[in-house]
Amino acid sequence: MNPFSALTPMVLLGLTPLVLMLVISFHRSHWLAALISLVGMALPLALLAGTATSDAPPLAPLLIIDGYALFYIGLLSAATMVVVVLSYGYLERVPGNREEFYLLLTLATFGCAVLTASNHFISFFLGLEILSVSLYGLVAYLRTTRTALESGIKYLILAAASAAFLLFGMALIYADLGTMDFTAMTSVLAAKTREPSVLLLGGFAMVVIGAGFKLAVVPFHMWAPDVYQGAPTPVTAYLTTVSKGAMVALLLRYGQYGGLLDYDSVASVLAVIAVLSMFLGNLLALLQDNLKRLLAYSSIAHLGYLLVAVIAASREGSHAVTFYLVAYFVTSLGIFGIITALSDERKEADEISDYRGLFWRRPWVSGALSLMLFSLAGIPLTAGFVGKFYVLTAGVLSDLWLLVLSLVVSSVIGLYYYLRIIITMYLSAPADPSSPLPATRRFSFPEGLVLAGLTVLLIWFGVYPAPLLSAIQAAVGSLA
Amino acid sequence: MTLIYYLAAAVAVISTAMVITRANAVHALLYMVVSLLSLALIFFTLGAPFVAALEVIIYAGAIVVLFVFVIMMLNLGAEVTARERRWLQPKAWIGPAILTAILFAEFLVVVATEPPAAGAPAGVGVKRVGAALYGRYVLGVELAAMLLLAGLVGAFHLGRRVSSGDEEDES
Repeated sequence: MNPFSALTPMVLLGLTPLVLMLVISFHRSHWLAALISLVGMALPLALLAGTATSDAPPLAPLLIIDGYALFYIGLLSAATMVVVVLSYGYLERVPGNREEFYLLLTLATFGCAVLTASNHFISFFLGLEILSVSLYGLVAYLRTTRTALESGIKYLILAAASAAFLLFGMALIYADLGTMDFTAMTSVLAAKTREPSVLLLGGFAMVVIGAGFKLAVVPFHMWAPDVYQGAPTPVTAYLTTVSKGAMVALLLRYGQYGGLLDYDSVASVLAVIAVLSMFLGNLLALLQDNLKRLLAYSSIAHLGYLLVAVIAASREGSHAVTFYLVAYFVTSLGIFGIITALSDERKEADEISDYRGLFWRRPWVSGALSLMLFSLAGIPLTAGFVGKFYVLTAGVLSDLWLLVLSLVVSSVIGLYYYLRIIITMYLSAPADPSSPLPATRRFSFPEGLVLAGLTVLLIWFGVYPAPLLSAIQAAVGSLA
Repeated sequence: MTLIYYLAAAVAVISTAMVITRANAVHALLYMVVSLLSLALIFFTLGAPFVAALEVIIYAGAIVVLFVFVIMMLNLGAEVTARERRWLQPKAWIGPAILTAILFAEFLVVVATEPPAAGAPAGVGVKRVGAALYGRYVLGVELAAMLLLAGLVGAFHLGRRVSSGDEEDES
């Protein structure tokens, strides 16, 4: 097989921003830009069905396009399509150029795709930087508002610092192993001819710091609440799902199949990070009144749950990670989608108090939002429950009792703040008739369609997860 | 060769420490040039003359000079002349000058001992760098192009001048 035909999804993802840029330079049109990005994300998605079964050999030596990479590329493109639909309505309400947003968005997704398919430190770093640099622009996109600029600069400085850590770590690992190729690295590590040197462990630690920043796990989480709050809501949705998902895919690929987790020290560092993330994320979320900040802390906790399954380092663990991630994608996109769609020119609907009495005004919307919050909390019949169940199973099977216990206890803490939002929605509406009601915007047709679709998926994966699970098993099976 | 390496490394550490401790931006930048030059010398002693040349041309040459220019232009005003005079005091340049002198001496030694002394690693020339970049790692070059595009688009959007009636709530 021609090795370049395996690259087709990647090439299409890379062509999208280029086509978009050419079109923008001739004719600025918001809907055209959104349409091109939608098509550009949909084409690779459609092609995946054809290429997913063929296990392509690594494209020497930077990328490897196997079933696993293709599954994640599909997931990330689908999530990007949802973000594009949400962004369209959002950007219609803000002044200034809108088309560059889609350019940066598609570039960021391209970076994510490179991350999930990377087989080399060079492609790992370049993919990560494409993602980060695009995100600087996206986070600060509404550049005339103070909060957007503030969060953009915060993200820029912290991401640059973490990239420095990552590079230094890569250099240390290279100095010790003499290779930057993951496949070669795996075989050197698997040979275990000697004790790991301080150089190697230091390198691993620094790479964990760099990855931990992107995942916003404790103690690298400080940026998350501020950036989540300040960024445009569709970008927040993107940060939570696509950017973290790509990093998790990479971590899973090399944590587990690269033999990284065979080192006790690496596994125990990740375990400490996971426990801290679960507890700190959930406890700090209790104190928040802003929905976006609350979801930032909730996301920190959820990445902690995910790490439990990563540390389990088993076949069940990798299935659990992928399933949990899909469920988390659906749920997060849904919640941020509803926040975006309810916000209007006057005000972002991001305070919990904005949702007071929502049920009496918008029963369907508040019903969908309740389901999504139930899914985040892990209540049965939702995708989140099934995901959490698999993560727990993976943890129990690998005898990670401390982690499993932390997961259960912190989930119970988390239940409180999810239910608090739901209760707020079912309270009677605020009595003050003088102020206009917040969160009253009507959904546009595409927004309604996407949000309804996400809700249906949420229930479907929660009630009948078998089809998704078998797809995941096929995809993850190509890893080992 | 080992002595030259350690000397250059010491200069790099000292000058970088000075970069992050100087209060005056121009002083820090002078030290940064020295730091980059010493890195170039380290690369040279490690057998990468091409990377060393790039380090001097791109980092020490283009980027830092650009920094210096921007900082000087930002401070246009009445007391510019007075500040220029302050900057030209020996206090400002004596440190970088001494460090650069050390580097220059090392450089002369390295050049004088051509062919390279025993123990020096085999050099990686321009040809091998080019063959690796555009052969085995050509995808990396493509990815770097996308990275530059992302940076360019972001900088264009964030740095664009606000036109009237475009974005009203300009602060």
